[in-house]
Amino acid sequence: MAEVWAVYVMISPDLDKRKGVPFLYSKILEYEGITEYKLDSNDLKILLCEQRAAPVVAFMVVYRVGSRNEAVGHTGATHLLEHMLFKGTPTYNKRRGTQIAAVLQKHGAVFNADTWLDRTRYFEMLPSDQLELAVHLEADRMRNSFIADEDRQLEMTVVRNEMERGENDPGRILDERIWAAAFREHPYHHPTIGWRTDVEGMPTARLKEFYDTYYHPNNATAIVVGDFDSNEALELIARHFGPIPPSPHQIPPMYTVEPPQQGEIRFVLRRAGQLGLVEMAWHIPEATHSDSGALAVLDHILSAGVTSRLYQGLVETQLSVDVGAQAYQFTDPGLFTIDLTLAPGIDHAAAEKAVIEVIERLKTEPVSEKELQKARNLITTQMIFLRDSPFGVVNVLGESEAVSDWKLYADLPRMVTAVTAEDVLRVVNTYFDDDNRTVGYFIPKEEQS
Amino acid sequence: MNTSRDHSFAARTRRHQLPNGLVLLVLENHANPTVSLSGTFRAGEYFNPPGKDGLGSLTASMLNKGTSRRSKLEIAEEMETIGARIGFSSNTFTVSVSGQSLSRDLPMLIGTMAEELRAPAFPADELDKLKQRVIAGIREDLDETRVRAYERMTQVIFPKGHPYHRPSGEHLISEIESIGVDDVRNFYETWYGPGSLILVIAGDVDEREVSDLVEKALGDWKGPEPPVIDLPYTDLQTKPYRESIQMRDKANCDVVIGHASRLRRLNEDYIPAVIANRALGQSTISSRLGLILRDEMGLTYGINSSFSESGIADGPFTIGVTIAPENIDLAIETTLKLVDEFIRDGIREDELADEKSSIAGSFQVGLATNGGMASQISSLELYGLGSDYLDRFPDLVKAVTKDEVDHAIRKYLHPEVATTIVAGTFD
Repeated sequence: MAEVWAVYVMISPDLDKRKGVPFLYSKILEYEGITEYKLDSNDLKILLCEQRAAPVVAFMVVYRVGSRNEAVGHTGATHLLEHMLFKGTPTYNKRRGTQIAAVLQKHGAVFNADTWLDRTRYFEMLPSDQLELAVHLEADRMRNSFIADEDRQLEMTVVRNEMERGENDPGRILDERIWAAAFREHPYHHPTIGWRTDVEGMPTARLKEFYDTYYHPNNATAIVVGDFDSNEALELIARHFGPIPPSPHQIPPMYTVEPPQQGEIRFVLRRAGQLGLVEMAWHIPEATHSDSGALAVLDHILSAGVTSRLYQGLVETQLSVDVGAQAYQFTDPGLFTIDLTLAPGIDHAAAEKAVIEVIERLKTEPVSEKELQKARNLITTQMIFLRDSPFGVVNVLGESEAVSDWKLYADLPRMVTAVTAEDVLRVVNTYFDDDNRTVGYFIPKEEQS
Repeated sequence: MNTSRDHSFAARTRRHQLPNGLVLLVLENHANPTVSLSGTFRAGEYFNPPGKDGLGSLTASMLNKGTSRRSKLEIAEEMETIGARIGFSSNTFTVSVSGQSLSRDLPMLIGTMAEELRAPAFPADELDKLKQRVIAGIREDLDETRVRAYERMTQVIFPKGHPYHRPSGEHLISEIESIGVDDVRNFYETWYGPGSLILVIAGDVDEREVSDLVEKALGDWKGPEPPVIDLPYTDLQTKPYRESIQMRDKANCDVVIGHASRLRRLNEDYIPAVIANRALGQSTISSRLGLILRDEMGLTYGINSSFSESGIADGPFTIGVTIAPENIDLAIETTLKLVDEFIRDGIREDELADEKSSIAGSFQVGLATNGGMASQISSLELYGLGSDYLDRFPDLVKAVTKDEVDHAIRKYLHPEVATTIVAGTFD
């Protein structure tokens, strides 16, 4: 049974005009030091985590919209829109001397916004007596942003420069091609920054439509972590977000499903560069799947530190100078990737073979209890280190909200502790199948004489 | 309970100096069961013998490759099992030590750090592997437009032999290839010791317990006299210079504009100079250069200015901008014009007020973590600024006037003799 709290609105000149209207919030759940509430007027989800180590507070609004919600013609819309949300509102703008970045900077805030496959998030970390500034600003730009054509034209060239910077990096292009090859139908196929000509050609009206479709309180979570009083924070959030109506429409679901891969995909990328790269990927399930704990443990067994399997099998043997493994788990099924930077003179196929040997061994021999315990300890201590900073906590809560729900974060230590050697053996055998694999080589092009 | 708000840093930081020179600073913060360790001592790249560029850095990186007691793998096994981390890295003048662990594992953290500092084994096969990785990293950098532009700028501005004059990647590779275990051991024996070691430990610890642990682990470490660093100021260039570096397959170019700054951390007008730079170009999204080149003209994703490496020595003043090839000239011209205007008109009163309030806020935000506090305290000790400096700092900033900032702008910014390097693919 949810508790219900009443808040009576205090009026400030720029804000709500509906004097005396109470905005109610309901307490949903308290779990692992985090409390979830919901605004009754518009279903905005609220997460609070008091952490009074230093006089600093972190605030984040996560919207459940990312490049997953785009299709050809408007790829990159979510990201371009994120840039546009710094261009101002009737309250915060350059003409009035209240430009968003300048106001935040003036108060010493560390702030930014970013976009990924499943979400767009806006965040501020600032002195705790400035929490209202962050709350007011985020509430204001949720519905009041100018999405002006002249701003879009300028911002498009800024984004194009951001894209070109990325294109300078061979590792980033190889990774982009891996996702594009492994996902044929599902929108994880295209990069979050978008395809170049989509970004260049996107009409302002399309961005505005995107904003009006997804930027609503019922499609967002507001998170506060750090030095604050819960009642005061709820009052602030209710006062500033409460008057915003919920979306007049249902938030459109994304229903495309990637079919099974049915056969290995391979490609070569040839460009100027210095060192060869290999990236390999296998489809794995969504973040809420019961195998997620085992996949997180596997990722650590493969690549965390000097004692990890891939470091021992590839770096110590001087086949590669760098190796990484990552279980990318999202709202929809993602990829488990392994990437290598080859040592000079090493053949791509030889390094790939060494990776396969590491994987094949994991398919037949269960990992030792010691190795398992090390991976579990690493994951649980990393979670404790996160709490050193309010931003660390706000970040993981936001990412969990993006892919499903914050309790995913709160439950991770338990999930990981429950993982057994048999679980690891099973997930390697389930997902690391040849037909489920995509392999890309980056081969540096010889100097032209 | 809020402990950090109620007490001054001076009162909360305990300083001990051991007879061998080591300075230990401890700050208790019981908010989270973790501890952060941060240390420095003077044994960086500045001390490289002629013909051995990269030796200081290799020596620091060899510290965690095994000791006379245990192999690299045995140590890593122990540290990774408890989720702890110790790392060594080399900078221009100093070697940095950084580490973190759960507070209950602090004895192991300090013990491992001391073992690696005092008894490195320098195995030859590990040195070979390390050299190969370092060289691969340098080769990757050869492909980075920003690195290439910055490196070339330092070669024009700083005389050969100056620690800020960066050798070319190819040159560095050939010197690193010539380095053997004897070079590493000699470097270690000549420069490593507790004489200039500053160690800061912040977190959920008991101050007396920490000093006992450190004294036991490092109290009887002997080493050379603490080295003295004595570098003359670098003269400002006398004329402008421009050069382009042609690279292949680069969609984006990097431009670096710079000149000798003659600014060091202990210059009396350091804070006014920092305020000047913040207003001009520290932030792409809110400083003058970014507001015009990114926000108004849409030319770039990033433009920043900085007094990079202004510390023990005077580094360069630089402006870096990332740009499409067709916009290079427009970006350079606009940037230089904006710097000229800034010099001519000085900082606006509203900019000064905003920057002061911004520094006060970001100071508070930056000190929110154990790591943030440890690195601030360590740098105060390095520069001898006194343990009450963090408490005095907000007032020092508040007291800065427009005249002081304008004076710093005219003293430290000299676009008329700047060196401009462009790296990328162009016709």
